[in-house]
Amino acid sequence: MSEFIERPRYFCALGGALETLSALPDVVPILHAAPGCAGNITWTQNGGSGLQVGGYCAALAVPSSNVQEREVVFGGLERLREEIRSTVELIEGRLYFVITGCVTEVIGDDVKAVVSEFQKEGVPIIHAETGGFKGNSYYGYDLVLQSLFRNYLERDVLKVKKRVNVWGVVPFMDVFWRGNLEGVRTLLEKLGLEVNSFFSGADTLDDIRKAGGAELNIVLSDVYGVEAAEVFQEVHGTPYIQLPLPVGPSATDQFLQQVSEALSLNKSATDQMIAAEHQQYYHYFEPLIEGYNDLDLQRYAIIIGDVNYAVALTRFLADDLGWLPEFVVFTDQLSEEQQQKLTDARFDLKSGLKPKVVFETDTSEIIRHLKQNWPEFKSQKYYNAFSPAFVVGSSLDRDLAQSIGASHLSISFPVANRVVIDRGYTGYRGGLRLIEDLLSSIIVGR
Amino acid sequence: MSYLDNKEPPRRDDRLQASITYGGSICSLAGPGKGCCASGQDRSFTQGSICLLLPGLAMLNSIPDSVVLLHGAIGCGSCSHSQNANIRSGGNTRWGRTKDALWLSTALNESEVVNGGEPKLEAAIRKADRRYRPATIIVVAGCVPGIIGDDIDGVAARLQPEVSAKILPVHCEGFKTKIWATAYDAVYHSLGRNLLENPEYQSRIIPDELEELKEKHRLSRTVNLMNVSSMGRVDELELTRLLNALGLEANVFPVFTKPEEMYKATQAALSISTCPTHDDYFLKHLQETYGVPYILKHMPIGIKNTGDWLREVAAFFHLEEQADQLIRQEEADLQAALAEFKPWFSGKKVFISAGEIRAYANGYLLTELGFEIAGIRAFHHDEFAEGEYQKLASLYPSDFPVNIANAQPFEEANLLKKLQPDLFLGHWGGNATASKLGIATHVIYNTGLSYIGYKGVYELAKRLYRQLKNPILNRNLREHLKLPYNPKWYERDPFSYIKSQGGQNNV
Repeated sequence: MSEFIERPRYFCALGGALETLSALPDVVPILHAAPGCAGNITWTQNGGSGLQVGGYCAALAVPSSNVQEREVVFGGLERLREEIRSTVELIEGRLYFVITGCVTEVIGDDVKAVVSEFQKEGVPIIHAETGGFKGNSYYGYDLVLQSLFRNYLERDVLKVKKRVNVWGVVPFMDVFWRGNLEGVRTLLEKLGLEVNSFFSGADTLDDIRKAGGAELNIVLSDVYGVEAAEVFQEVHGTPYIQLPLPVGPSATDQFLQQVSEALSLNKSATDQMIAAEHQQYYHYFEPLIEGYNDLDLQRYAIIIGDVNYAVALTRFLADDLGWLPEFVVFTDQLSEEQQQKLTDARFDLKSGLKPKVVFETDTSEIIRHLKQNWPEFKSQKYYNAFSPAFVVGSSLDRDLAQSIGASHLSISFPVANRVVIDRGYTGYRGGLRLIEDLLSSIIVGR
Repeated sequence: MSYLDNKEPPRRDDRLQASITYGGSICSLAGPGKGCCASGQDRSFTQGSICLLLPGLAMLNSIPDSVVLLHGAIGCGSCSHSQNANIRSGGNTRWGRTKDALWLSTALNESEVVNGGEPKLEAAIRKADRRYRPATIIVVAGCVPGIIGDDIDGVAARLQPEVSAKILPVHCEGFKTKIWATAYDAVYHSLGRNLLENPEYQSRIIPDELEELKEKHRLSRTVNLMNVSSMGRVDELELTRLLNALGLEANVFPVFTKPEEMYKATQAALSISTCPTHDDYFLKHLQETYGVPYILKHMPIGIKNTGDWLREVAAFFHLEEQADQLIRQEEADLQAALAEFKPWFSGKKVFISAGEIRAYANGYLLTELGFEIAGIRAFHHDEFAEGEYQKLASLYPSDFPVNIANAQPFEEANLLKKLQPDLFLGHWGGNATASKLGIATHVIYNTGLSYIGYKGVYELAKRLYRQLKNPILNRNLREHLKLPYNPKWYERDPFSYIKSQGGQNNV
């Protein structure tokens, strides 16, 4: 365990839980936490989530028990009771969801007991224990989903053919969550599936409640939401498959084929769809060919990101765009087992490239990895420099890009220097969006 | 004994009987009884807020050559992602160098919460010292160490001999105080205890008498201009411009001040606060320990306030006449420039929500521009606001509502629905409610924008003119978005959830 994490690119379980709840339709989060937690989360979104802050009932509007020294000494349950009662009276929602912070967990408040009192009164309310020390914001997402699956979804719903649930894209931590989920939905709907993706504009709380009727769960991540998928399988009997976030043609082909296979869909129909999508993708790309060549837009690349993006962006750059992603930096806190699994499973690239995979949570250390793995410049007359280069990372990686004279685009959290509403990079069209954004940042001064 | 002899500063709840809960009006606050703001009042419904960690970090992240080491769970201090923008632009506007803030987290996990986090903190300090070679390592405690009993001061004292950086423990345990302005005391406390010593290398072996005389003269004209991150560089420059016009030099302290230069604050002729609620703790210390007198009156926001602020400073240096001349000229220039905007503002109703003094000072400013105050919300109340209440009450023949709340947008929504103002000015992160109600909005605090001094009046007027010229976005938002509150809420008293000390709600 490292002594510290430098500028963590995630925050606490409570923060991830609040972001997750604020992205769910008609859900009202209630924080049982110290007074500053909501503000800290709001400020973090402001700085990291492409200027997306809050929503219907989030940010500084979120109900929060704001526990003080008195509660630390005497317990916070009375304050929580009062807060829930007032919230139900004042805030309109169809599901109230209590999440806990460090303080209330350390003092041992029995939140479950209070929540069940209200359940007995007929209040639609559940909870999750999300104390900040339990894990980071990606894990908070997982904890909320686990509770939702256990405590809110209807049990013993009949399985419906061709109905699937999708998750693994963490709202606000993946700044492009809306667009990415919509991109995936669109693809799956083209396969003839009925999709519940929890957080997209097309999802409703009624559909979510019936999510147990899905034939298959698709987790778009190697890590995020995986424990929840286990819980889902245990409680509702739906199996799951884990697939990387499909960005661009190669990954999307594989995504569609594997989903299609898992559901025993008609293979030739899937192949037909893939062929049609390819045709359109390259048809749209066609007018860019000359300019791409004229301006010599191929780049060496360093990819720095969370689990989802490190895998997906590398795949896209290596196997679709034909760049040279030499270094891939995973910035998440991962166990050795998780690291090994990612390295083994996710870098079998069609292009045959073998990027150097690095696990590093600390931004300022990334340059050291680069220097260690690229021949040093010793004033030789001819030197194969790491150039022209592109850093595809977060806004914290601008220093690195500048120091090596590379272009830069923020995609993985934190994204402080872009405004994102519903842009997404998934699917075929997402690949085109990504090309636009990458190349635009190279030619911005043209 | 001075407060600074203790490890932690007292909380403002106790030291100043500060309060975050009140619903009433300007007349009752300014009136003789002042029967309000009992610090024991609470709400039976509360919304999320910030804690002292956030303003604390806004200051600490700005200190050059330093690392901020958060001791707590991994989320504490992630607000730095937002504050980083100010650190980048602040470095750029001061030194032409855009640099990210450098913060670390000990990211305590479940087993460390059970077994204590001190060993990890010790290891983190050692590693931070070795890796970054900073001038200071600022160890900031969040809630968790406060509950599990980690002694950050003990750790700092133990490790100081081993590391080359100066270790600064800062207490920001959010559950300990309702008053986030305690942050200023927490940061000043640590700076005061650790960084005010004049470094040895300042003393010369062979004195240069002429240089010494010059320096003495310079210092006799140098004032500490206190900035706890409530002003951006543009505002510092405006106040510096005005002070320079009186022949004074400004030493801005403590944001963006290099650790090795902090001692200079002890040598100034005078310290000037720009907001009474920020600096009293430290200014009293500077006076008691280093003999630097201070002025803690007025916020230089608005025409009269800026003039009053300048006159106080000038009086100290016996420069009254020069100040009057400066103020006359500045006001004449400003009024001429404001003429094109004033017709837009005349008679329009404005609602203001901000930090304690800032809210009232802006109330005064907006009245000067021709607006009429519909209502004011301030984040807290303490004794420093009392003069401001009286100033405002004297401007208005009729009463208007005042709400003391640490954000709590549900009360704001209720008030806004009832009062229907034309314009709303809210703090950073505090304009969504009014926007969704279709009211024209403008941010009342952003370190990239100008608010202070005469220039601030003009720049604010210019921005408000812009907002009022086309407020259609918010009207569109009103058509398509809703606030989360039950419609019945708007029929009730906005302060229904305030409990008086007996525990009953006021209805």
